[in-house]
Amino acid sequence: MTRAALVLLGAASCAAAQAPNLLSILAVELQRNFRILSEKGDPQAYFMAYSVVEQETGRAAASMGALLQSGVQRSRTLDVSVRVGSHKLDNYRRVRGERPQFAQPIAISLDDAPAPIVQRLWWETDRAYRAASERFIRIKTDEQLKAAEDPSDDFSVEEAVRYSEPPGRLKFSLSDWESKVRKISRLFARHAHVTQSQVSVVAERQTKYFVNSEGTRVQHGRGFARITLTAGAVAPVDGMSFSLFETFDAEDVSRLPSDAVIEKAVEKLAADLDRLIQAPVVDPYVGPAILSGRAAGVFFHEIFGHRIEGHRQKDEAEGQTFTKSVGQKILPEFLSVIFDPTVRNAEGADLNGFYRYDDEGVPARRVPVVEDGVLKTFLMSRSPIQGFPKSNGHGRKAPGSEPVGRQSNLFVESKRQMPFSELRTMLIEEVRRQGKPYGLYFDTVTGGFTTTGRRGVQAFTVIPLIVYRVYPDGRPDELVRGVDIVGTPLASFEKILATSDRREVFNGVCGAESGLVPVSAVAPAILVGSIEVQRKPRTQDRPPILPRPVVPEEAP
Amino acid sequence: MKLLLRSLLASILALLLYPAQAKDDVLLRAASEELERAKKLQFPALAAPYYIEYAVDDALSFSLAASLGGIVTLRTNRFRVPRIQVRVGTPALDNTNFVLSDTISGSLPVDDHLLALRHSFWLATDTAYKNAVEVFARKRAAITNFVNPERLDDFSRAAPTVKVLPAGFRKVDESRWVSRIRAVSAVFAAYPKVLTSSVELEIGQSYAYMVNSEGSKLRLPDHLSHIRIRAAGLAGDGSVVRDAALFQAADPESLPGESELRAAAVRVAENVTALAAAEPGADYTGPVLFEATAAAQLLAQLLGRNLAIPRAPVSFPGRPAPVLESELDGRLHSRILPEHITVVDDPTLKEWKGRPLLGHYEVDLEGVVPGPLRVVDRGVLEAYLLTRQPVRGGGPSNGRARLPGAFGAKAALISNLIVTSSQPAPAAEMKKRLLDLAQKRKLDYGLLIRKLDFPSTASLDELRRLSASLAKAGSARAVSAPLLVYRVHPDGREEPVRNLRFKDLSVRVLRDIVAVSGDPQLFDFVNSTAPMALVGGANYVAGSAVVAPSMLFEELQLERPKEQLPKPPLVPPPPLAALK
Repeated sequence: MTRAALVLLGAASCAAAQAPNLLSILAVELQRNFRILSEKGDPQAYFMAYSVVEQETGRAAASMGALLQSGVQRSRTLDVSVRVGSHKLDNYRRVRGERPQFAQPIAISLDDAPAPIVQRLWWETDRAYRAASERFIRIKTDEQLKAAEDPSDDFSVEEAVRYSEPPGRLKFSLSDWESKVRKISRLFARHAHVTQSQVSVVAERQTKYFVNSEGTRVQHGRGFARITLTAGAVAPVDGMSFSLFETFDAEDVSRLPSDAVIEKAVEKLAADLDRLIQAPVVDPYVGPAILSGRAAGVFFHEIFGHRIEGHRQKDEAEGQTFTKSVGQKILPEFLSVIFDPTVRNAEGADLNGFYRYDDEGVPARRVPVVEDGVLKTFLMSRSPIQGFPKSNGHGRKAPGSEPVGRQSNLFVESKRQMPFSELRTMLIEEVRRQGKPYGLYFDTVTGGFTTTGRRGVQAFTVIPLIVYRVYPDGRPDELVRGVDIVGTPLASFEKILATSDRREVFNGVCGAESGLVPVSAVAPAILVGSIEVQRKPRTQDRPPILPRPVVPEEAP
Repeated sequence: MKLLLRSLLASILALLLYPAQAKDDVLLRAASEELERAKKLQFPALAAPYYIEYAVDDALSFSLAASLGGIVTLRTNRFRVPRIQVRVGTPALDNTNFVLSDTISGSLPVDDHLLALRHSFWLATDTAYKNAVEVFARKRAAITNFVNPERLDDFSRAAPTVKVLPAGFRKVDESRWVSRIRAVSAVFAAYPKVLTSSVELEIGQSYAYMVNSEGSKLRLPDHLSHIRIRAAGLAGDGSVVRDAALFQAADPESLPGESELRAAAVRVAENVTALAAAEPGADYTGPVLFEATAAAQLLAQLLGRNLAIPRAPVSFPGRPAPVLESELDGRLHSRILPEHITVVDDPTLKEWKGRPLLGHYEVDLEGVVPGPLRVVDRGVLEAYLLTRQPVRGGGPSNGRARLPGAFGAKAALISNLIVTSSQPAPAAEMKKRLLDLAQKRKLDYGLLIRKLDFPSTASLDELRRLSASLAKAGSARAVSAPLLVYRVHPDGREEPVRNLRFKDLSVRVLRDIVAVSGDPQLFDFVNSTAPMALVGGANYVAGSAVVAPSMLFEELQLERPKEQLPKPPLVPPPPLAALK
């Protein structure tokens, strides 16, 4: 007997002794449907998967000492995937740039009550099978198929896996956190120049259940906890508006920093805003710059990370920047970029991109994408690309989306490291060498994967928030505002000259084709030979016309 | 009587727990104080606002859904939704009724924190004023440069109203509701032909606040709770068959108790089972008898949505703003119903034959106090439902602004629509007259309709198919499909048929009513601006009621949909009885 079969038998004997849990309910109903759809279906189903994401979420948000919202909620969301045809060609084949979407997020019973769950599974399986069949029949005859450049299969072959850990419970005291967000948000009210502000906490316990027709059954989970501080202000002179944020992430609320640390962050945000609204507007500039560790992390995620997601290499509509660069040098040779979802903690911080199994039931693993500057591989889901027929555990999605290759924990490793003070010295040397009046230091940036809730900020975009001019004559760094990075600075990456010796962690939530997924980037500060910035386009905004309301008895 | 007493007691107790006299109401105070300051809003060299309105829905919602004994969603939500409106210009011409007109919303703190609340109002008003100024400029440019519909004033006059009623949220016994809804949902497990089912509950407590620059000040209870029992199955040809039982009330204690809900679930299950086995209906042209509920549902759609006259906003090329027209536009003082029928819309009525009327309200969203309105007098259309948005054929508001609307206006809805006849026929005779008419036309049967899909519980797929076929037929609006239809044979036997749709049903058919019964029934429902009052189709809802008798139509057309149906599922449904 093979080991897989032994495991199957073991599971069967245990099942008789206890009530069915969600994983076994899913597995049994999947087999019942798959047996018929694979034997009698026309077209035949060759693969099926059910995935359920269970979330227990507590949240509280406040502004100026007043609660905005709070509550604890549980949800269970089901996704059904059916593939007809074969690994070589199935209903998921992208034709004419069209991205097939069969998933629909379905709420299912929060209790492990078999009847409503299996009835819903069956109804949605039928819907998914019909949608799969319709599309497969339609594309099979499409002329464009024959012209495809990339001859790789539509679905990889992977081994079945079994894993189960008991689901955790959310530990979150709603009343404690309501008090806390009220208390901390009240601090912003002391700062007259801050027009909008908010303090929020979100704590989530997530459990994922995944079964497929190949025999994979996994049940795993983790926690997320995040405190977000946001504050906004408007420059009185020209109405330019600013929004700054700070986040603290951990696996569990008990691992979040103390109130004292958070209150200090509030004061820093308010002070930064105060200086920003009085700072001069940036002039157009091309020249050397340092990006802080956190800013570098965002850069690498947005500018580099999205370009090595596997599905983009097969897609005519994408830039396909690196598709033909495997084995070539795409970064300076002292840099390596590794994606590793198996790492839970780095540089003293819990990492958002930690997981044990991806959303296709493939075990997570360390993936060195760039080694000593040379591109080795891409982030792969079970959708193969030419030269890479297998998944490397990066097939990820939010409920209701189809999985594609997505980032996890991004690590930048450098063999040309130095203390930050030396990096600054190198910057100034470079400024002089290039004959520039000053260099730039990007302290804080935001991107398509940060948490300011900026709708419409795409992936690939990096927005500078706190930027300084660094003068070669020793005068203090000067804050500037209204900075826009010109174009997508992919070229900047080739001009990375050195890095600092300390890495910083940026935890975020990345939004792309398959929805929001938690990610992180761990990077040192980097010195770049050339970055181009310009002034943000003028808007019609003006500061508020009336002064802010004042309530005498409530002066904070 | 008992129910009312119980809820009255509960209200008194609740008020003791949550005192909220007007002067202690921090939200009201924040809105009033900030509104006073906002009157001084002005860009240099530009006009100050001539009207400012702050509205807030202060709400607590408990919602719950279950299927076959499992809880699917469970949620408590406390929220305050503001709607800020600033008007610049004059009542004759302002920044509303333009394709870019909007109302500023967002969220307010739920704590009674005066400074934080005023801060939110301050920022929202600033944005609203700046938007109003810009939109006003663009509207004037559009009027000057492009052809636009006839000029009507933008805002009519109305006297301000001050009405601050007691407020306070009642505690909800969540576990009692959970076990009750769970138990009702489990009823469907015994019906193998029911392939999907759900029972949903929402207990909505809400207070509608409004202050405006004319001196209106309102705080009014606006509670609405509902229970929805829905089920669907598949007929042999792959058609979806479904039924629903919807219950609504202002006071959740007035909702049916568990045994009544179980009985309703059993009826829905039996209807779905019968429909799954029933013959599909054939194309039909002939007499149709609408029993009272179905008649009320028909009038709620044909009269309800056509009594509000929509107004096309000022627009410009590249920004079409199509507005669904009312079939009663331009038909004031013409006969739309038989002469023996009179229809009155009366929000002042609180109950009918001992049952609470869901359409009752005291003041509308614009502060106008409504009175009874005779919309149809002996068959002749005499009045429209009017808000402060002037419309063709209408005058000043008659207090029907019940929901936020589009382009800066409010939407009018029916309240309690009471249909009476001076020539009722005996109820027992209606079926006989149906058969007589059928026989005269040499038809084998007449059609009897007991229930329409209204408010509609159709799925997105069904709606898509419906609107696709409507577009082909060229008609703009559909009346929802009948759910319970029966062929009545000459021997009196009733045979259910399924999956029929109305063809070409418009307000014009109302003139063909040949008889109405003498036993009117009450039908109440959760109303909204969504087509067919689609359940879950709109953010804002309000209660309405129709009191109507059964109605016999001489000739209506029903048709069998000709679209391609999906094939029945390959995999048989799971055997639920085997599961524990």
